[in-house]
Amino acid sequence: MAECIFAFGQCFEGKLHPASLEILTPLREVADRLNKRLILIGLADDKEKFLAIPELKKLLADEVWYIIHPNLKHLPDDLCERVLVYLASEHKPYGIFFPATKKGLSVAPRVAGSLQAGLCAHVNAFEVKNGNLFLLRPTYGENIIAKLTSQRLPIMATLALNAFPIREAERAPLIKEVKLPEGFDWSTKLTIKNFKPAKKSPSRLSVAKVVVAGGMGLKSKENFQMLFELAKILNAEVGGTRPAVHAGWVEAERMIGVSGVSVRPKQYLAFGISGAIQHTVGMEGSEFIVSINLDKEAPMMRMAHVGFACDAPSFLKALLQKLKAKD
Amino acid sequence: MGRILVCIKGVPKPGTVKVDKETHTLCRKSAELILNPPDRPALEVAQRLKDQANFEVIAISMGPPNMVPVLQKVYALGVDDIYLISDRAFAGSDTLATSRILAKALSLLSPFDLVVMGARSIDGETGQVPPETASLLNLPSITYVKEIRYVDGKFIAIREDDFGEEEMEFYPPAVVSIVPEIDYVRPPSLKRLLSIKEVTPKILTNAELNLDEASIGLSGSPTQVADVFEKTFVSRGEIFEGEPDELAEKLIEVLKEKGFLA
Amino acid sequence: MLIEFPLKEEHKIMIDLIKEIGETYIKPYSLEWDEKEAYDATPIKALAQADLFGLIIPKEYGGLGFGTFEMCLAVEWLSYFCAGVSTTYAASFLGAYPIILFGSKEQKERYLPSIAKGEKLCAFALTEPQAGSDAFAIKTTAKKDGDFYILNGIKQWITNGGIADIYIVIALTDPAKGARGASAFIVEKGDPGFVVGKKEKKLGLRASLTTDLIFNDCQIPKERLIAKEGMGFMVALKTLDYARCGAGAQALGIAQAALEVSLKHAKTRVQFGQPVYQFQAVSHTFAEMAMRLSSARALVYSVCHYIDSVAKDFSGASAMAKCFATDQAMWITERAIQMMGGYGYMRDYPVQKFFRDAKCLQIYEGTNEIQRNVIARELAKWIKV
Repeated sequence: MAECIFAFGQCFEGKLHPASLEILTPLREVADRLNKRLILIGLADDKEKFLAIPELKKLLADEVWYIIHPNLKHLPDDLCERVLVYLASEHKPYGIFFPATKKGLSVAPRVAGSLQAGLCAHVNAFEVKNGNLFLLRPTYGENIIAKLTSQRLPIMATLALNAFPIREAERAPLIKEVKLPEGFDWSTKLTIKNFKPAKKSPSRLSVAKVVVAGGMGLKSKENFQMLFELAKILNAEVGGTRPAVHAGWVEAERMIGVSGVSVRPKQYLAFGISGAIQHTVGMEGSEFIVSINLDKEAPMMRMAHVGFACDAPSFLKALLQKLKAKD
Repeated sequence: MGRILVCIKGVPKPGTVKVDKETHTLCRKSAELILNPPDRPALEVAQRLKDQANFEVIAISMGPPNMVPVLQKVYALGVDDIYLISDRAFAGSDTLATSRILAKALSLLSPFDLVVMGARSIDGETGQVPPETASLLNLPSITYVKEIRYVDGKFIAIREDDFGEEEMEFYPPAVVSIVPEIDYVRPPSLKRLLSIKEVTPKILTNAELNLDEASIGLSGSPTQVADVFEKTFVSRGEIFEGEPDELAEKLIEVLKEKGFLA
Repeated sequence: MLIEFPLKEEHKIMIDLIKEIGETYIKPYSLEWDEKEAYDATPIKALAQADLFGLIIPKEYGGLGFGTFEMCLAVEWLSYFCAGVSTTYAASFLGAYPIILFGSKEQKERYLPSIAKGEKLCAFALTEPQAGSDAFAIKTTAKKDGDFYILNGIKQWITNGGIADIYIVIALTDPAKGARGASAFIVEKGDPGFVVGKKEKKLGLRASLTTDLIFNDCQIPKERLIAKEGMGFMVALKTLDYARCGAGAQALGIAQAALEVSLKHAKTRVQFGQPVYQFQAVSHTFAEMAMRLSSARALVYSVCHYIDSVAKDFSGASAMAKCFATDQAMWITERAIQMMGGYGYMRDYPVQKFFRDAKCLQIYEGTNEIQRNVIARELAKWIKV
């Protein structure tokens, strides 16, 4: 009873989404501390392609269970729900966890609804205390972290993207195919007419080594644009806070924070960013943080390794001038 | 004539939200409410389907009484009817309890062809309610929809997925959630704005929904907040003050020291 | 600004709606449209969906049944955001007035509902290459041929050419009778023998489309005649009487925008150690701008109320409103550039656009010289000798 923890392995065309591997890192620790078996559940249409996934043998789970059926090719939400709910009813896991990918965010709530279980979103840390699991996430735009718990099992959550590094295991997990009973309903009400693979590769921002980011302290879209110039010189990617995106200064794909991109660069230069928790959870893993802000007490200033109490647009102008002069 | 139900949410106007110290949930009653911005594209999508295929569009919101002005403004956008689902017993609902309440209300308004919601709210930001509600209604859910049209009794939706873009086909009834980005949303209608004060939403309380109190509100929410704490940052490094010019010079120096700049 | 007129709730609601439309669909793009001389259908679509094209259309045809006052309020506020857009909007009313004032029941039923919904834009075509101020010098002919009229000729510099579906064309049915031989017709986009010329390049109002209209044995059903043959100039002049205030309202919106932008600049631009507003040469100029704008506004809206109160003869009144307000707008925008100095001259800033937009207002819908003729003529009627 409640001896295992499920992790959703999101597969597509013989590849496992990296986010499914990321979530195993904290779940491994949780499983060890609570003495449960960590099981990656993979749903796919092609057995050979699935077994050929290179990361399979090194991932942190104790076991990998895979379910194969042609209808699973595009992971239709209603069918995934049915399969996962069946497995949950059979094995009564302690917890079921999903990466906060679009697929994860679409399937997890369906499973939670079916199982009448609680579901926490964008969890970025866990705490185990007295044999109980707590889920941590930033909340409600204030500088608050909420510690959540669930009254019932299974405990369910979607885990924030890019919040955990991918680690490899010493030993290969036990890999086995799970066959669902004869008569299982494999139908789906969704028909894919067409699929256009994404032309652009996953955000370069999320893997950038140097990030220059701007917030409302930059005061205008024109000022914000200077970050792109700086990025060219420093070979960096540009990011922005949520208010900056809402103000139309930068596109949504460059938003750093909860429900945006998480970054862990070597250098993070923050211009005119106060450091609301919604933002800082998306970059607090950065190695070297520099903050330029008029307010010395701003959270980002306190978080930074080096701070400059200064008007961000003026600082940025001066910085650009000097860097360009050096060429 | 087919029917589309648009579920919208009122969110506190940024800067006016208060968190209840005891339950750690939002005090929605005290805040001034605005339409959750990602719901605006959802309303526009429903209106476009109405223009295209003559659907009846009903806007529904679960919220406190101060949601009424928001619903009235939504009426000015051209929807056929507005409903408010409101009851003290609903307060403090997490996404599961909320989905139960919505699912019941939506079933009272059936038959319908489509339920449309915004992809997420800017306060809770979970994005869970559309698929969760769909699951409770035993309907398919299609998330992150960019565009949707109605052709020969079927819906065809273009949606964003982690690996690309899907064109998906499904029969009504279904639940869709719409991405927050949209090319154009229509303004309110002057004719409707002039008569807005006379329009009131129909109210559904738990007397009409008849849900077991154990399944709604705080008691119906399996997820509970055990604690909240402020994330404090101990001052980590040095803070320099001065003129932009000298400070910029200092930064270049620091970056060179650390080997980040040649 | 120093005077606030009390407004009814319905007017406040309408103005708030237009401000919302201006902020959302117009303000972020107006300089770009001006720079590219591009017409964008998006704000027009928004105005249509907001029911604003139905402002003066009678209620029984799906409109709001409002009067000149409301029309001018709407046009003033739209012009505050972009006079190019307000020109497209106001010119459509110019084309709708002949149908509202003189159309038969069938014509009203056929055209007004879709005009009210903003589904069809209108245009008004009187001017020809040899007939500007001298409108009576038009040469376009409309020859009766059985159940049809055949139109031949060219109309010049017509606002909304190409994007309108409904064109009111004044043409000569009886050239021998001169002015009394002109008639007003409804020509629709797609009528055989009707083509639209190239888009003109203008000094201002660049977001609005201006083209020639070319009629080459253009055949239209006889039901397209408005009122009776010979009433063409009566239809045209009465239409212009109503629409003139709209041009005055455009002037108010442009001038208001220019005043605000330049005033803000004068208060923040520091020279010789103080904001330039502190220098009397500057502050007195703003005082003058404020007086001129307020008096223009008072005149335009008092004429609107006069027209709406079922005045019978208001050519002189509407001519005064148009002439005075548009001249003031020109003065104010020119001074606004001067008060902003170099910033007023640069195209990255909007003040130069206001100046260029305002200029056209002194010329179209009857030049201000012609307006003075009208005023003088009407004035003369008051003294009998």
